[in-house]
Amino acid sequence: MDPLTLTLWVIRLAFLAALYAFLALVARAVLRDIRAASRDPAGALGRLVVVASARTPAVGSAFLLDAVATLGRDLGSSVVLEDSFASARHAVLTFRGRGWYVEDLGSTNGTLVNGEPVTGARSLGFGDEVQIGETRMRLERGIR
Amino acid sequence: MTQVDLPGFPRPVARPRELGLLLAMAGCLVLGSLSLGSTQAGGLALAQPAELAIYLGALAAMHLALVVAGRRVDEVLLPVVGLLGGIGLLLAERLPQDLVVQRVGPLTLGLASLQLIWLVLAFAVGAAAAIAVRSDRWLRLYKYTWAAFGLGLLLLTFVFGRDVNGSRLTLDVGPVSWQPSELLKVILVVFFAAYLAENRVQLADARVRVAGPLTLPPAPYLLPAALMLALALGIVVIQRDLGAALLFFSVFLCLFYLASGSKVDVVIGIVLFVAGFIVLALVFAHVRERVANWLDPWADPLGAGYQTIQALHAFARGGLLGTGLGAGLPMVDGHLPIPAVQTDFPLAALGEELGMAGVVAILACYLVVVARGLRIAAGAADDVRALLAAGLALVIGVQAIIIAGGNLKLIPLTGITLPFISYGGSSLLVNGLIVGLLLALSDRGPAPPAAPRRARRVRQDRS
Repeated sequence: MDPLTLTLWVIRLAFLAALYAFLALVARAVLRDIRAASRDPAGALGRLVVVASARTPAVGSAFLLDAVATLGRDLGSSVVLEDSFASARHAVLTFRGRGWYVEDLGSTNGTLVNGEPVTGARSLGFGDEVQIGETRMRLERGIR
Repeated sequence: MTQVDLPGFPRPVARPRELGLLLAMAGCLVLGSLSLGSTQAGGLALAQPAELAIYLGALAAMHLALVVAGRRVDEVLLPVVGLLGGIGLLLAERLPQDLVVQRVGPLTLGLASLQLIWLVLAFAVGAAAAIAVRSDRWLRLYKYTWAAFGLGLLLLTFVFGRDVNGSRLTLDVGPVSWQPSELLKVILVVFFAAYLAENRVQLADARVRVAGPLTLPPAPYLLPAALMLALALGIVVIQRDLGAALLFFSVFLCLFYLASGSKVDVVIGIVLFVAGFIVLALVFAHVRERVANWLDPWADPLGAGYQTIQALHAFARGGLLGTGLGAGLPMVDGHLPIPAVQTDFPLAALGEELGMAGVVAILACYLVVVARGLRIAAGAADDVRALLAAGLALVIGVQAIIIAGGNLKLIPLTGITLPFISYGGSSLLVNGLIVGLLLALSDRGPAPPAAPRRARRVRQDRS
């Protein structure tokens, strides 16, 4: 075999080998990323990000949610709303297996989801906005 | 040393993983260029070193732009997409340059120069989208406007489009011809992500019982689904574009499944599409031809089946390791054996020169793009972003599957592009936009503050 053909052979196979070496590096980076995500403590089931509010909580603050989260003026609530249009025990968010639900607890002024009043248990998607009095909060996925 | 923050400027964020992968990718492309150049020149030489340098420079510029912008976005997508684009560039350099010629003033640009220009523009679009898109608000608020815009584009093509190879896809605007259906895929994903996320509640809860265990989603869901089916089949009839129809409908079904989690609906959707397609195949001759051609291209080996048969021969010549870049595809009677190789059959050309090993590596790159897209979707803060990321990544993945399957005679051949590799301005620009949007969606927000350092103990010197 003449040297040129041999060189071409070597370069060609080196190119293919380099492609696979690159893919191996990519696979390592992807796997490391997935492992890091699974090592992290499991994120909360969801969080409420305050979009608009009367006084407190401040706009931009976020609450990590447990499976049951109560909202209202009552100081024992999971999310305490300092809002004169909110009832003491206003609404409750519950995580039931696959998704979040919101229920109004017979409040005076009612609860809105994306501008519509809540009756009974209403399913909540991530990205939906819950409004209580002058406070608007967006449900987001927990940090992972 | 403390970093000084200039007001109005974000703090740069180093992206070491992306840099490492980009360097590895550059190494790959230099070897590929060496392989092609040496085969062509008959001695050690790089093929078109200037073009390679410009291409790598564009990637480095995009990396730098992301570093300076200071957003913590995905670090794997850019190198993988860069490798695909680079292989496409090598292929364009390897093919005869007069396949596509465009005159710009005094310059006459051939295939590789045009491909390079489009690639650089695509990365510019991608970088701009990755840096500028901060919120999905304007995407979700104006979803009906987007949908109307997309349908308007489609109508424009129906009416004013030019027929190329029997499909009405191309719209001429001045000297530039472009394909609106490329942009339409992004617009449709945006619309359906916003629509499905907004109405997800009804999709999961209020199902209408039809018979026994069979339930269907309520009207607000069936309506867009039926519309989508009609649109897909309409594209087949009027535009004669099987590929786009298949792509739109499969991505829609994937998004529908992600939003509803209902396998029954997906099966029903597939059955309806197949049934509609069979009816169309019975009624319209051009659909029937495509199917017949797929089932038996040897019935008309020099006419309709020519392209497919030549592609199969190319794959066979390539074998496991290929003939090497630049060593395949001998000219037959002064023209290339596979017509439209640069747009519809790049995988066949690569299969010949890089062999099965190369094709598998390329398909693995698309798999990585889809995997990263789904990972970004899983980490997204809300449903719109999740569906958007999944949909955009699937557009690239499904498109690669459809055209790769067509090249290999696994499914009927359709004239859509192999993302990032095929020649074509609209396709490259839109794919650049998709990568940019995926990067923007993968933003993990500002870095959490570093753990507080322990106060350093001061050692006291006793003298």
